[in-house]
Amino acid sequence: MKIKYTITGLDCPNCAAKLAGQMSSIEGVDSAKINFLTEKLTVETTLAESEAYDALSKAAKAFSRDIVIEK
Amino acid sequence: MKRLLKLFKSDIARIVVALIFFISALILEQSISPYGALALYIAALLISGWSVFFDAVRGIIRHDLLDEKFLMSIASIGAMIVGEWHEGVAVMLFFLVGETFEHHAVRKSRASIRALMDICPDEACVLTDGGEEVMDAEDVEIGSTIVIRPGERVPIDSVVISGSADVDTSSMTGEPLPVAVSVGSELSSGFIVTNGLLHAKTVRVSGDSAAARILALVENANESKSREESFITKFSRYYTPAVVIIALLVAIIPPIFNLRSLTDSIYTALTFLVISCPCALVISVPMAFFGGIGGAASRGILFKGGNVFSATARCDTVALDKTGTLTNGKFTVKEVIPFGIEREQLLSLAASCEYASNHPIAECIKSASDNIIPPISVREQAGYGVIAEISEGYSCAVGNIKLMEKLSVDLSKLSVAPEGALYVALEDKLAGIIILSDKIKSEAESAICSLHRLGVKRTAVLSGDREENVSRVADTVGIREAYASLTPEQKYKKLEELISGSKSTMYIGDGINDSPSLARADVGVAMGSVGQDSAIEAADIVIMTDNLSKLSEAILISRKTINISWQNIIFALGVKGLILILGLLGYANMWLAVFADVGVAVLAILNSMRALRAPKQ
Repeated sequence: MKIKYTITGLDCPNCAAKLAGQMSSIEGVDSAKINFLTEKLTVETTLAESEAYDALSKAAKAFSRDIVIEK
Repeated sequence: MKRLLKLFKSDIARIVVALIFFISALILEQSISPYGALALYIAALLISGWSVFFDAVRGIIRHDLLDEKFLMSIASIGAMIVGEWHEGVAVMLFFLVGETFEHHAVRKSRASIRALMDICPDEACVLTDGGEEVMDAEDVEIGSTIVIRPGERVPIDSVVISGSADVDTSSMTGEPLPVAVSVGSELSSGFIVTNGLLHAKTVRVSGDSAAARILALVENANESKSREESFITKFSRYYTPAVVIIALLVAIIPPIFNLRSLTDSIYTALTFLVISCPCALVISVPMAFFGGIGGAASRGILFKGGNVFSATARCDTVALDKTGTLTNGKFTVKEVIPFGIEREQLLSLAASCEYASNHPIAECIKSASDNIIPPISVREQAGYGVIAEISEGYSCAVGNIKLMEKLSVDLSKLSVAPEGALYVALEDKLAGIIILSDKIKSEAESAICSLHRLGVKRTAVLSGDREENVSRVADTVGIREAYASLTPEQKYKKLEELISGSKSTMYIGDGINDSPSLARADVGVAMGSVGQDSAIEAADIVIMTDNLSKLSEAILISRKTINISWQNIIFALGVKGLILILGLLGYANMWLAVFADVGVAVLAILNSMRALRAPKQ
């Protein structure tokens, strides 16, 4: 399933790429892409929607407190 | 309390407070109490750097020791430890100032691009049995009647069923002049009705409507990376580790050989850590393309990715389709010559065959008859015409002379083959011909001229039409080469020939038989307003109007954008490199290093925003 989120609070494209890398390594997440400029997070996942959201938010919070993911 | 916390979190407030502490510490250090000064320095450091320290700890937990926040923290705390108090604080303070500027600049660019993209309302006013009802545009079904009042934007692609008005199409097409619409006119989502009230029947769902498709194009645009972008991403992957290793060497080696004191070496190493952050590099290129895509979109030119810019900027060969690209594609029926049947009957037959086609010729034939009967089945033969089964076992063919020859229709009744003729055959008998005329676009000549002026060496028109028509059009508009009577396959082959002899070839087309060519060319350009969905899908650039002068504008925008991206790369690398060298020689301090990081990033963003503005013709 492909889910799109809005992701705000990222500092720079470099951090965005790193965070996307970490999100991709979450179990059940096949791929995660962050477009820093349009602030879009696109994930390909086998997880249920709410599970995916929780896991992604957790990864984001572990990265920086300012990052917010919204559906 | 909550407000105080918010103030504490606001970057500006933090900068001001930290700066006050910092300056007082500087004064105090000069005069009386060095330890009092240290306390103030630490306060300033914590105020300006607490969020960075927090993120650094998170980096450690993630085992990411090349995290920029972590490196920045080491540099700052390290400087404090070797006794460079004000430098240690200045690093954090400058970093915060720089980041604040950077965020502001990014936010502004995002906002200006979003403003360009805010083209479609989320709600639609639907006419139901019970009166008017405001609904989410997403929930409106095809065939619903929507009401659009003066000043409102069209929410969904639709066709006017009552009323007339002037509409402002500029946000979709970049064209400043309003267009008059009345019953039967098509409305694209994003048009603004300036006067008059319209009722319109929706022909698409909101997600498939023009505005939504444009948004999706622009939002996904950045995903296909350009060469410049891949280069800088790859480069930055090695850059940070390399600089960190140099920093370690610089800290260890000179003191071992007693070349420099340990403190001096460590200080230089810490400066290197600050320079090692790749942000200015990584942001420099995509930001330029982001600006370019936004700026082009506001002029009715959609680039489908950063990679398109470089191919467009290098373009030295341009091939164009004729019908609908060089000409208006709006045909009118000039003459009807029936053979043995009524005039109306001939038009009705032809229109029925073209029932399912949306080729410009088909549209013209359909508008010429009001007696259209949907056929049982239709075979469309790209480059020839259509063959339809109009009633059980009874077929009718409508197309060019090649279709007639293919079906071995008897053409002996004709004395000459007239220009722009459409042939209608019932079974194998010629039922009549319909002569159509199409006008060359008024701006075509000047558009081709400016392409030549921009350094395009070869221009060619590729057309399925007959020799004399094609050469006449080519001569009129100043295109140097004309290739006529091409089937779609031959067109494709011809295009490949052109491509193999060029640096980069642009192909401009609109019709069904153009999709393979659009996809094959280095830059496929679909002329949007008359273009067909499959063509828009295959293209790299979509031009919302059918205005040919947008072609040279697209090339100019691309060149400007590519220039800006290289300026950014060279500037960012140059400044960082220079400060690294100065650092090795012992001249650079941390203040310079912070400038090399955030300062360069801010300048690169500001430079990128130039891509939003139109280049000079």
